[in-house]
Amino acid sequence: MVHIHDLCRIDAYLYEIPTSWRADMRVPARFYADEALLAGIRGDRSLEQLINTATLPGVVNHVLAMPDMHQGYGFPIGGVVATALPDGVISPGGVGYDINCGVRLLAGQLTAEEIHPYLDDVASALYANCPSGVGKGGPVKLKPGELDDVMQRGARWAVKRGFGTEEDLERTEENGCLPGADAAKVSPRARDRGRDQVGTLGAGNHFIEVDVVERLVDEPVGRRIGLFAGQIVVQIHCGSRGLGHQVCTDYVNLFQRAIRKYAIELPDRELVCAPLSSPEGRDYLAAMKAAANYAFANRQVLAAHIRRSFEHSLAGKVKHHHLFQIYDIAHNMAKVESHFVGGRSIEVCVHRKGATRAFGPGSEVLPPIYRDIGQPVLVPGSMGTSSWVLVGTETSMARTFGSTCHGAGRTMSRHQAKRSVQGPALRRELEAGGIRVRAGSMAGLAEEAPAAYKDVDRVVEVVHAAGIARKVAQLRPLAVIKG
Amino acid sequence: MISTPSDDSGPRRFEEVEHTADRALHIHGRDLPELFVNAAAGMNSLMLSSDCGGVGTVEKTIELEAMDAESLLVAWLSELAFWAETASLIFSRFDIMELSPTRLRTVIRGDQLTTIEKHVKAVTFHNLAIRRTPEGLSVTVVFDV
Repeated sequence: MVHIHDLCRIDAYLYEIPTSWRADMRVPARFYADEALLAGIRGDRSLEQLINTATLPGVVNHVLAMPDMHQGYGFPIGGVVATALPDGVISPGGVGYDINCGVRLLAGQLTAEEIHPYLDDVASALYANCPSGVGKGGPVKLKPGELDDVMQRGARWAVKRGFGTEEDLERTEENGCLPGADAAKVSPRARDRGRDQVGTLGAGNHFIEVDVVERLVDEPVGRRIGLFAGQIVVQIHCGSRGLGHQVCTDYVNLFQRAIRKYAIELPDRELVCAPLSSPEGRDYLAAMKAAANYAFANRQVLAAHIRRSFEHSLAGKVKHHHLFQIYDIAHNMAKVESHFVGGRSIEVCVHRKGATRAFGPGSEVLPPIYRDIGQPVLVPGSMGTSSWVLVGTETSMARTFGSTCHGAGRTMSRHQAKRSVQGPALRRELEAGGIRVRAGSMAGLAEEAPAAYKDVDRVVEVVHAAGIARKVAQLRPLAVIKG
Repeated sequence: MISTPSDDSGPRRFEEVEHTADRALHIHGRDLPELFVNAAAGMNSLMLSSDCGGVGTVEKTIELEAMDAESLLVAWLSELAFWAETASLIFSRFDIMELSPTRLRTVIRGDQLTTIEKHVKAVTFHNLAIRRTPEGLSVTVVFDV
């Protein structure tokens, strides 16, 4: 167990566990926290899990965890681990089962004052038009063979089908489609799970949320992104549904043999991996990209459902009901990127599991509209609390492989949350605070109670103060839709 | 034929243990077949708000192979989770014909339910190790929900 005296404090918000802590660590383990968050981190096994990731073959610089870190399985949630090509490993557990779980932010010219009389109608329309897909499929029916298109072309497939516009693609990480996806590397079982789920939200911590921009912390950048105080925005938080879950399951299973083949010793079987140069590693990366593209397509379709819901409930009643896209980010992904290691730029595979890419100004991969200000970073809070819009920084490129936090991070198990919180009572509490709630499961609602999560304001303050993302806008929820 | 018991009498079969992000069950069994059946019962308890009390109108034969007992357990539970998600089928009666650490052949019986409250996204290998105890076998399984 890691004790406080085992930690080296690098600066005000950055701690390090040196390689001397354990013989099998290849690099140090670093994490971001303030003193309050540090107490929570030491209360679960996330530090041990972070240290475990430092044993992966090919890992470079240091492994990292963001201030929303918490215990996961294998990798901690909030983990960022980079391995060097060609022979460094790729680990499905370093991406997570929900491949390309991420967030999309839509916005418009509508204000909170204008939407207020119709908020119940909007919430109900969103709940009706954005299915959870739990227990039954969604309304989008794919033709035979079309699922391959979804996996190969991602959000572009959805735009071609009439869900959204080309402008949405420019404002999506990777333009909504990772090159190098190979649908042939996705199993029949994964296809069976995903075939009927395109355009569905899922359950658990997935949601759609109508927010108001409470304040702009950085007014010039906020306006450049398209935000203003009092503006209505909408978040979507979901991922690759059953297809992505099964891809991860399939390759975690496959890699149980791969680690024997490549003589890799690991402290946890959920860390299984294979060299990126191996057939197994290449196959997983190609399948992961296919699942990631499915998730981009999924959020593209849901965005179309949301726009339709706004139109149905607001057209003729408010001046502007149209929604445009701010950005769409992934926070469970592995990407091959160029970063500076040992003073030179090399290609690494950056695993972000519950962490968001936060590329700084000037990054060539960013769309021209954002290239000079940095990548928008979307950080949803827990239900009923603030969410945040930030931008990436040059410091994140230098210190965290261009990465930052992804959300609030859990502090309480789902089991404990259900025992401590009653869903109906929580719903009443949220509604008393002016937040409309539409949820398919009261037990599910209880599991997502704000009390089960860290303080997102604190998490965001740490990344801002540490310079690995910069605050732009704070959002306050008005309506929450959950599966 | 082994059914998942409908009441709590008899030796403990499983109990939930705390896990911050997901759900985890500590599962017991006198032998490997009982461990596998109790694991299925435990996972069913995560998906349903109460015992389904099904009569077993749907029957399937499952054959699985894996490299070791832990992998076989993950494959077994993943199979059941797949049917729950894609066909709303919950299986609670099992006629295990063959079970070794690397191979399972069983007839499973269950029902299609509309009352599945939560699906299991995945069965993880996190810290997965089947251990011998004075009462038989035990294992802790972490489920991604």
